[in-house]
Amino acid sequence: MTDAFYDDDNTLDEFSPDKDLKLGVWSQLARYALCYPQDLMMLALCAVLVGICEITFPLVTRWVIDDIGSLGAAIDLIFYSGLYGLLCLGLGVGVVGFLWFGGKLRSHMSHDIRRDGFENLQRLSFSYYDQRPVGWLMARMTSDCERLSNIMAWGILDLVWSFTIMLGISGAMLVMEPRLGFIILLSLPALAYISRYFQTRILKSAREVRQTNSRITGAYNENIMGVLTSKVFVKEADNLDKFGKITDRMHGASIQNAVQAAIYLPIVLTLSALATGIALVIGGIESAWGIITTGTLIAFLTYTRHFFEPIEQLAHWFAEMQMAQASAERVMSLIQAESEIRDSEQVEAQIAAHTGSSSLAADGYEQTIDSITFDRVGFSYENGPPILRDINLVLKRGQSVAVVGATGGGKTTLISLLARFYEPTEGSIRINDIDYRNRSLHYLQSNLGVVLQSSHLFKGTISDNIRYGRLDATIDEIHAAALKAGAHPVITEMPEAYDTQISEGGASLSAGQKQLISFARALLADPQILIMDEATSSVDTLTEARIEQGLRVLLQDRISVIIAHRLSTIRHADVILVMEHGQIIEQGNHEALIQLKGRYHHLYQQQSLNNLWGETAPEVDAT
Amino acid sequence: MLPAQQSSPRTLRLWPLFLKTSKGFRGQLLIALTSMVACFIFLFTVPMITRSMLDQLSGEPPDTYSRWISILIPADFDGDAVLYASLGISALLIVMVTAVAGGFIFLRGRAIAAAAEGMARRLRDTLMDHLNHLPMGFHQRFDTGDLIQRCTSDIETFRVFISGQIIEIGRAVLMLIIVTPILLSLDVKMTVIAMITMPVLLISAVLFFGRVKTMFQKVDEAEAALTTVLQENLTGIRVVRAFARQDFERQKFGDANARFRDENQRLFRFLGAYYGASDIVCLFQVGLILIIGAQWVLANEMTVGTLFAFITYESMIIWPIRHMGRVLTDSGKAVVALRRLAEVLSEPVESSTEATLTQPLTGGIKLSNVNFQFEPDQPVLSNLSLTIAPGETVALMGPPGSGKSTLLQLLLRLEDPDSGAIWLDDHRLEDVSRKSIRRQIGVVLQESFLFAGTIGENLRIGRTTADDEALRAAAATADILETIDSLPNGLSTQVGERGVTLSGGQRQRLSIARALLKDPAILILDDALSAVDTDTEASILANLRQQRQNKTTIIVAHRLSTIMQADRIFVLEDGKLSQAGNHESLSQSKGIYQDLCALQGQVQQEILNHRDTKELPV
Repeated sequence: MTDAFYDDDNTLDEFSPDKDLKLGVWSQLARYALCYPQDLMMLALCAVLVGICEITFPLVTRWVIDDIGSLGAAIDLIFYSGLYGLLCLGLGVGVVGFLWFGGKLRSHMSHDIRRDGFENLQRLSFSYYDQRPVGWLMARMTSDCERLSNIMAWGILDLVWSFTIMLGISGAMLVMEPRLGFIILLSLPALAYISRYFQTRILKSAREVRQTNSRITGAYNENIMGVLTSKVFVKEADNLDKFGKITDRMHGASIQNAVQAAIYLPIVLTLSALATGIALVIGGIESAWGIITTGTLIAFLTYTRHFFEPIEQLAHWFAEMQMAQASAERVMSLIQAESEIRDSEQVEAQIAAHTGSSSLAADGYEQTIDSITFDRVGFSYENGPPILRDINLVLKRGQSVAVVGATGGGKTTLISLLARFYEPTEGSIRINDIDYRNRSLHYLQSNLGVVLQSSHLFKGTISDNIRYGRLDATIDEIHAAALKAGAHPVITEMPEAYDTQISEGGASLSAGQKQLISFARALLADPQILIMDEATSSVDTLTEARIEQGLRVLLQDRISVIIAHRLSTIRHADVILVMEHGQIIEQGNHEALIQLKGRYHHLYQQQSLNNLWGETAPEVDAT
Repeated sequence: MLPAQQSSPRTLRLWPLFLKTSKGFRGQLLIALTSMVACFIFLFTVPMITRSMLDQLSGEPPDTYSRWISILIPADFDGDAVLYASLGISALLIVMVTAVAGGFIFLRGRAIAAAAEGMARRLRDTLMDHLNHLPMGFHQRFDTGDLIQRCTSDIETFRVFISGQIIEIGRAVLMLIIVTPILLSLDVKMTVIAMITMPVLLISAVLFFGRVKTMFQKVDEAEAALTTVLQENLTGIRVVRAFARQDFERQKFGDANARFRDENQRLFRFLGAYYGASDIVCLFQVGLILIIGAQWVLANEMTVGTLFAFITYESMIIWPIRHMGRVLTDSGKAVVALRRLAEVLSEPVESSTEATLTQPLTGGIKLSNVNFQFEPDQPVLSNLSLTIAPGETVALMGPPGSGKSTLLQLLLRLEDPDSGAIWLDDHRLEDVSRKSIRRQIGVVLQESFLFAGTIGENLRIGRTTADDEALRAAAATADILETIDSLPNGLSTQVGERGVTLSGGQRQRLSIARALLKDPAILILDDALSAVDTDTEASILANLRQQRQNKTTIIVAHRLSTIMQADRIFVLEDGKLSQAGNHESLSQSKGIYQDLCALQGQVQQEILNHRDTKELPV
């Protein structure tokens, strides 16, 4: 594994602290914040309020001390108590407010970004998914969303707060005693420079820690999933060795990060002590000369201690934004990616114009699918070699089509095109003589029933999973579908039968059990087109035979396409296609293909029991 | 998957685990604490210096500090010059003292990082090794997600406790210990006033964070639910599309997304209320000192400098105290995390005290009266006896749940039989160490697991020292060499989630090559050819037969074409051996095997029919 795989940010080489922020992507993100203008305003107001209160406290102290000096006992303590109380209240309200509005803004923004991302993910075609692992997409939708909304909400807060404090303190100092104020403000560039320098480095090493951390999580995941393999190959020691290298790296990176922070803080503290020192000497002399009051001196001393905080915050958020630049770009690109397969404008117009006549589909065409025609269909991935070439095929309602051939021959691609997971790059596929690109995608896919090689089940009960085929199905209908699929006996053997909880990804079930359940799910959908891709490969032969009994009835009145290795499964199909190197090399029914003595005949003989069988074959009823 | 809590009711002892983990790092913790004390002692002198100077400016009589620094001032200085000099010296002192304190901050940071990161690394490594050595039963019982969470988040919670909370608690306690005497020495009455709200603050903080803990839990749960929905949608996207269930999914995700948002927002509101209120209390406390102090200054009962020092010290201790509630709750989390880690670490690993098998096995296997059950009264294998001769190729068949896979697990000592005995040659299995048995058995599992890495690395799991030639030879036997060569980077091609995606059949063939590299005395194929097409299967089986002439091979399969090629066939039903024999004998006696033949026979019959009628050449 190279590091780039675990790099959720720019790679280290790409990163340069001087690189300017690209404002475009941030302004796009800012639109999510601008959806909540009132909350945004309130957040900024609260930040200003808190800042102002914090600046005013030392001033009140100054006034009190000076009044004591000048007025003595005549000082209006009640007024000052009231003022102080007011400031406390202001600060308290400000804090409540910014957590309230900031929290709202942050939660809503990440919700909205995620909502739009998910929405687009439901539209994007599979070619998008092919290029991006699920883990990558998950990271965009979870941690990146959180990170960006944190930057937007708390970053805005700190930005406003920092500027308020800095302006306020500078203003107060310059008004109280311009010379001293100016001298102290001279330390500002040094503070800013050092903060930038360290914050950038601290964040960089923090990123290294994060990346290594995902590696550690990955390593645990892999080792737990593969524990059986490790055991049977006695790889425990090797695993620990390999893992030790990652934890060493984590150890190194974390310590580096901590040490950087441990250097930064003392430097900043010493710098602000320097400012305090200057204030003490000059302010002390001036106070001795009577140029400033003791109260002013105290205010100055207090301000010098509070000066570096806003600068640190600004440096932090600036560096964080730079680091998160890549996250922002990726999230926005996910939200804005265009799906290659979607309803054309014409189809959308048709759907809009269509008024719910029950016999027609949503796009205004015939609901029933009588035939599907592949007309000189070819397919290749972008810049890739052709996967399918010159496929001509007519599928008719009531007909079952079986596809056989070696792995990589194009079988799965063929059904992916049929399901419009991909679209042909050459030729066309027509539903009832209308190019399916001129029909609604939703219409086609809601008439599909698909059982895939690796049957994906969702977390929930077994009934829930079967019900996915038709959401309004009753329990009885679910049972009936399971019965037809041959899944019923397997399900009733489980501890809670149909109410058995399936864990995420169906991990608690065997491959065969998963296939049976997803088969039931497809049958419940009662689809016009039924697609089975190696749907029964992990089911034992006897169970498969049982399924087939029911299947023959089920295939009536639909178009069904079956991919299988076991020829016993497919010999009853009306049409058998033999595919090799992306082309249909033989086509016909079982008898015809046997007679052809070509590839199918060879496969069939191979799988049947060769010559041995003739001598020992028991008496069987010929069907 | 059972929730973990139910699985181990035994009492867990956390203290020994803590001691074991912290061994060698306690010195660093001590350095960190000492540095912190030193740092505070230095930092606390700054307000003292400032106070003294302020008092001197207001014309108060010189205090101890002023007398001390006057030593440094040349005797011929007078009046203002003395004041300027002492101001300059004080300023210099403030900078120096802060710099020294900064040095201690650095020391503390480094020591605490060394301790916390060192302990975290130790825990991570220990857990990884422990997980690798826990029996399969454990792994079936525990949810992967739950385990990973323990290995990552729980260790992180513990790490944060060491690097943050221990120090925070230490700091708060030390602050009180150091500051209180200083304050008392300045003014006893004012000290009492300065401490008045602290118990209230501390108690309310602890109470509040107790409450907020459940809110955090809700946020975590909502996030976990959101992640699950998302993960399932993305991994199952083909199913979603195939059933056109986008609206349903949108609804599901929208609900989870909104719940996460609302829980988050609720948490922030709650936090806002707390922080706002406690800020007011803290500021009220400072204000109290200010107002009362001002009156005392007026009455000449206190100097301005002392008042300033009080206010500075107060703000040094009151915020950490307010923070304490958070720290204490988080420490509670650390205890929970440590308990969850201890739960895993206290699970007994597979025994490893048995004798090591040194000489190579010939491949003879004998089972006599083996009984095994995973759960009481649900026997998986009952009274199973069978013998496999060295060099034999046997097939195991039977319906799902008949005990085939369990039998293989027993051979690999992944489980031990409840009663009865298993011999490999004349070694009784229980007397021989697991690892040395597994080194001599090659297994291709039902679900072929490949590690993230290159194809070459995955093959070398079979034999670490194998050169590329050996890899290619094994790949050729498993009929996967052509596929490997067609990949752009050949053996160096990355596989796994972030590499190329291999089909089920390709993964199975890679696993076969991997097992062959081991050149084991016993080779087990557990339904390892199910995703391979029949042509390829036939060629692999022929290759195997040729290569493994004198070595034992056990094949679990469903397809007749695979099973019938075995020297002997064992039929398992309900954990019992129902039939044994070769193809000829079994196809003629009533039973599952004959049923299977009959089914396949229908197929054959057709071919024969065609041969008869069309006079096809044989």
